[in-house]
Parts: sequence; structure tokens; C-alpha cells
Amino acid sequence: MNLELIKYAFLNVKKRKLRSGLTILSILIGVTAIYALISFGVGLQNYVNVIAEQAGIDKLFIQSRGIGAPGTDENFRILRDDIDFVEKINGIQEISGIYFKTVEVKKNRQLKFVFGSGIDPSKIDFVEEAFTVGVEKGRQLKKGDFDKVVLGHNYQLEDKIFKKSVALGEKIEINDEVFEVIGFYEKIGNPQDDSNVFFTYDTFESLFPDDKDQFGFVMVKANRNVDPSLLAERITDKLRKHKGQEEGKEDFFVQTFEDALQTFNNIILILSGILVLIALVSLIVASVNTMNTMYTAVVERTKEIGIMKAVGARNRDILSIFVIESGILGAIGGLIGVILGFLISSTGGKIAAQAGFSFLQPSFPIWLTIGSILFAFFVGAASGSLPAYRASKLKPVDALRYE
Amino acid sequence: MRIDYIIIALKSLTQRKLRSWLTMIGIFIGIAAVVALMGLGEGLRGAITGQFGFLGPDVLGVQASGINFAGPPGQAVVNPLTDDLADKIERIPGVDAAINRFIESGTFEFNDKQDIVFAWNVPEGKDRNIFEDMINLKVREGRLLKDGDKFKVVLGDSFTDEDRFGKEIKVGNKVLFNGQLFDVVGILEKKGSFIFDTAVIMNEDVLVNEFRDDNSVNVIAVKVKDLKTIGNVQRDIEQLLRKERNVKEGEEDFTVQSPQNALQSLDQTLFGVQLFISIIAFISIIVGGIGITNTMYTAVLERTKEIGIMKSIGATNQTIFTLFFIESGLLGIVGGVVGIIFGFVLSHGLAFMGRLALGSELIRADISIELVLGALLFSFLVGLIAGTVPAYQASKKNPVDSLRFTK
Repeated sequence: MNLELIKYAFLNVKKRKLRSGLTILSILIGVTAIYALISFGVGLQNYVNVIAEQAGIDKLFIQSRGIGAPGTDENFRILRDDIDFVEKINGIQEISGIYFKTVEVKKNRQLKFVFGSGIDPSKIDFVEEAFTVGVEKGRQLKKGDFDKVVLGHNYQLEDKIFKKSVALGEKIEINDEVFEVIGFYEKIGNPQDDSNVFFTYDTFESLFPDDKDQFGFVMVKANRNVDPSLLAERITDKLRKHKGQEEGKEDFFVQTFEDALQTFNNIILILSGILVLIALVSLIVASVNTMNTMYTAVVERTKEIGIMKAVGARNRDILSIFVIESGILGAIGGLIGVILGFLISSTGGKIAAQAGFSFLQPSFPIWLTIGSILFAFFVGAASGSLPAYRASKLKPVDALRYE
Repeated sequence: MRIDYIIIALKSLTQRKLRSWLTMIGIFIGIAAVVALMGLGEGLRGAITGQFGFLGPDVLGVQASGINFAGPPGQAVVNPLTDDLADKIERIPGVDAAINRFIESGTFEFNDKQDIVFAWNVPEGKDRNIFEDMINLKVREGRLLKDGDKFKVVLGDSFTDEDRFGKEIKVGNKVLFNGQLFDVVGILEKKGSFIFDTAVIMNEDVLVNEFRDDNSVNVIAVKVKDLKTIGNVQRDIEQLLRKERNVKEGEEDFTVQSPQNALQSLDQTLFGVQLFISIIAFISIIVGGIGITNTMYTAVLERTKEIGIMKSIGATNQTIFTLFFIESGLLGIVGGVVGIIFGFVLSHGLAFMGRLALGSELIRADISIELVLGALLFSFLVGLIAGTVPAYQASKKNPVDSLRFTK
């Protein structure tokens, strides 16, 4: 019985090819946009979660407050003395301060301004773990590496940072001093981080003697069995007392990686939510179109409805026929929309990766695909329900007489 | 004659009220969304760039190069400017004044509450008036600083906000900046730009002697005498700085540009975001256009017989085409008008709610006359384009077949 209804609905969709086609087109456009936007949102969240997993939830960082981008305000820094103090707090497995400063890199008379980091070579493994990067080519920094530098991924590319790519062993000028390139880090996925340069503490301190023992931020790893957020509170508490500051007047803050990533995740959620809402408007328009198509269909088929009723179709049957018909329009639109959305997102992801934003990659979970098609089906069915209701309420006699 | 066409088109639209309404709703929703979003985007973009663009066109900003937008100018630079340059720049012909600007972050304490803020200077002596004019500095309470005002500050409007330090800061109050006690002598007029509204302003002597430990300068603001010579002045400053800082041409580690130019990249980024969002909203107009096409096809089909009759009594192909063409254009433009009205209300409503919810003055809607006219024209065009193919098909119908046509 139900199968019969579906067949009949399909037949009607096929009979008015042009009108059905246009209606499906209007639905699929909205579905395409929504599918593509959500796939990027999910992809971004996956990226964040992967970082969280790799970096581990046992990490925290201490950062100074101040004006502007984190670590750039030189009036607020974390001192070596603070780090030495924090290191003694119970529950800390490892701790390392990271120097942070803008540097000028120069090659073949081309100038670029990027962030330079000074890293404790004896803690390089810990720092790399916290940053979730490893050396891709060459080797990592080690003790005694003076006038040597490890570069971010993008230096290996042409026309990215410099016109010509930089090779291992080459010389590069940083703040007018000559450095030897001994390694490249893996791709992090955004142009800012992938253009960073890394030195040892000693090198950094000789480049910037005034900044000795003043750190941009500090990485901390909690002991196993220690809750990082409790540890964050403990560090805040003790460091505040150590620095002689009152509660609420700290010039630093301690945050767990998990919290920081959670904040980031929420931002992604809100932004993609807004975009999806805007894209949803087109689906509303599509649903109005569908309603229009179905009203027309009901008017055109008034006589047919009369006949069906005359031979025993109940109101419910007529209702189902039209709801199924508009549902089918929606589902087909959803199906094609998902396919198109997939193609657009994949292409968009490739373009983003080429532009250096490889963190901007779509992800296509199965729930999204099935959900989109189901949603389109429901939108179609819902838009058809009013016309269908009107059709079901037609009086058989009047309907038969309709011209 | 032409009027007749429009009357006929209007009649056929009103005959199928429900369908015409639904079609117009489609266009109207899309136009409303685009107008609302573009209006909000425009307002927001203007508000954000307005945060920085408070200087006239006759001013050049000199800055050391570094990472942009990482903080106040002069932060995150590699080789900062030095305080001896301003005097040398001032000797360049065509320069009215060259003023050192120092920006220093620090802790601010009042009512036992603390925040981290930034302070900037007003120069002493003859430059004071030039600078105050240049940035249009005015107080709404108390007075501006004068020479010899040691440990006195003028505060931006946001400091009078009760929520910030528990109670309103008034003229005559004492506040702590980096632990040093200051008298508040004035409160600035509210400008809607954070550079003023969150500023702590003090005399150059105090800021430099008490809080700056080197001879670096954040920005040098250069006022030119004649706007026409600004290009030459810029070149001369660049030449001077190359010599002073010992860098070759093409390897400058500083920039000399008008504040408007400096804002261009920020403005472009914001415009890109605005464009992206508008494009997504745009999709709904396209969908609305498809709705029009659909409705027009149905109309042509339903009125096949009518077309046949009109043709048999002498209507040309062109007449039939025009009739349907006008009808679809009307659908578009009526939808557009309603959409613009709704979009206008929507964007101002959203901006109002946003201001209430986030408390940010930045959220504004700005619907320009260009946007309104553009949206109107566009909705009409969408209607026309969407109706072209159906109207063409109607015009090509064979009168004999049409007359014979039954549903």
C-alpha cells in the first residue's frame, strides 16, 4: 500500500520534470551550502581535537597579561625567577620558558618580519611535544648550537616567505646576524606559525641581551595523577604570593591546554553556527518554493483528487500522496546537495591547503551526510504538508466538477 | 500601450494571489537577508576602521616594521624608532610638526581594583596645541593637561564606567598607574574609539622619565604644511630615515604612510569577511529567482490557451514576451521593495540587540542609499532574468496548437 503511494508520487514528480527539477534545484542549493559549511566546521573542530590529543591534556601554560598579541608586551613578562619558583611546586613534571620576540629575517635582500622563539635545548623534546611539532628535515636544536636556526615549514616553499626556497645548510640573516639553517619543522597549518624561527636560549640571549631571563610564555606538564586544572589553580595561587600580588591583580594567568582549546572550539562552533544560519535562509526560500509547487500541483490535479476520492481514497491517503511527493523533492535535492557540497568542500580544502591554511580542512562524518538528506526530506515534506492538507480536505463532488 | 502591459501583468499576478505571494516571499526573504547582513557588515567595518582612522589626510605616521596588529604601534617591532628622529624630520621642508608618540602599557589601580591599560603622551611646549588639534582632543569634564603637570592624567571615557573599577572615576580622584599615584584632572569626550576611550594620557616628560627605560619611540606623527606636497615630504622622510638607520633602498625596516593607507589591509580583510557572508546570503536570492522561473513556467503553461487567443487576434511574439517579462520583473521588484524594508528593520534590530547583549558600541548597521538602490535594481534584474526563458517559450508558442491546448 505504502509502496504504491511512493510509486505514484515518483510518477508525478517525473511527469512534471521541469517544475520538479526547478524545485529540487532550489532545495539542493541550500543543502550544498549548509553541507559545505558544516563540513568545514567539523573539520576545524577535528583539527583542534587532534592537537589536544597530541599535546596531551596534561599540559598547561603560564602567560603574562598585557596589551596586544600574547607574549609581545615587553612590560609584562614571566621571569626566570618565577619559573624557578614554579618548578618547585608539587605536581609539575616538566616546565620550560619560551623566549618570544619579533625578528627580521633576510635573504637575497628580501626582508620579512616574523616571530622568533628561544628554546631551552635540554628541554627540546618537551617543547616539541607541547607544540605538537617535530623536525621534518635536518635535526632539532641541541646544546651548543650557536648561530644555528631551525625554521618553520614555509621557508622550504617558493614564493611563500621568500621568492626562493631555503635549503638545509644555507645561511640566512636574522637581525643582521648570519645563521646556519639546520632543520625545518613540520607544517603546523597556518602561515603565521609556519613562518616562525627557533633558536637555543644562548643564541636568543646573545641576540637580545636586554631580554635575558624574560619569557613570553611558559609551558608546564603536570605529573601523572595530577588534575591539570587543580594544578593551574595551585600555580596561580603560589605564584601570586611569590610575586607579592593580590588576588584579582595578577599580571599573569595560568590556563590548561584543555581550557584554551575548549575556548577555541566554542568560537568555531559560534562562527560556523552563524554561517549555517545564514545559509539556512536559502533553505527557507526553497521551502516556500516547494510549497508553491505543491499548491500548483494540487490545483492542477483537483479533478484527479476528486476521482481518487470517488473510488474510495480516504483523506489520509490524499494527504500522504502529496506529503510523500514533496518529501521526495526534498530528498532528491538533499542527495544532490550533499554530493555537490562534498565536491565544493574538498576543492575548497585543497585551495586552502595550497594557500598555507592546511588546518582549514573539511571533514565528512556519516551523520552529516545522512542528516543533511533527512533534513532536506523533512523540509520538503513539511513544506508540502499545507498544500497536501488542503488537497485532502477537497470535497469529492466539487473536485470532480472543477475545471 | 506600455501601461497596458503593466496593467495586464498586474492583473494576472493578482489573479493568482497565493502563488504570487509565495513567489515574492521567496525573493523578499533573500533580499531582506542580504540587505540586513550587508548593512550590519558595513556598519561594523566602518566602526572598526573608525577605531583607528581618527587622523586627517595631512598626517603621516612613521613606524618601525614588525608584525602588524600584534598590539599598539611600536610593539612587536624589530628595530624601534629613536627619540632623536622627530627633530630631524621637523627640519624637512614642508613639515609643520613631527611629534613623538610614546605608548606604554601598565597596571592601573583604583578602588582596590586593577586592570592592565595603556598610557600615551601629549607633547610639551608648542607641539601641545598642534597635537591636540591633530587628534581633536577634548575633555567633557575638567581640563586638558598643560606644561608642568607632573603626575596628572586625563582619562578616557571608559574609566567613568562604574562596572570597570567598582565606582565611577571622577575629576579630582587619585589613581595608580604602575604603582605611581596620579591626580585625575580631566575626562575625555566619548569618541567611540578605544584609542581614546580606554586611554590614560599624561605629559611626555612623565611618561618617558618614569616609565620608559630606553630611547625608543612607538610612532612619529608628522603633520605636513600643505596636503599637495605630502608625496614629496614622504619621500624626504624615507630618505632621511634610510640614512639615519643605515638601510638600503628596498630593504627599509620602517614605513612612512598616511593612517588611511595603513588601515587598508585591515579594511580589506574585513571587506573579505563581509563579502563571504554576503555571498552565502546571496544564495537565497538565487533560490528565490528559481522560484520566479518556476512560477512563470506554470503561468505560461496555464495560460497557453490565453496566449493562443491573444496571438490569433494579432498579438506579436514580442508582445507576449513583454507581457510575461514584465510580470516576472514585477514579482522581483515588489519582493525587493518589501525585502529592503524588512532588511532595514532587521539589521537595525539586530544591531540594537547586539549592542544590548554584548555592550559593544561597535555593532552598528549602516544601510547606504547605494545598498538600497543596488538591492532594488538587483531584485528587478533577478525577476527579469528568471522570467526570460519562460517568457521566450510563451512568445514562441504556435497559436493553433495553443488554442487547441487542454490541461
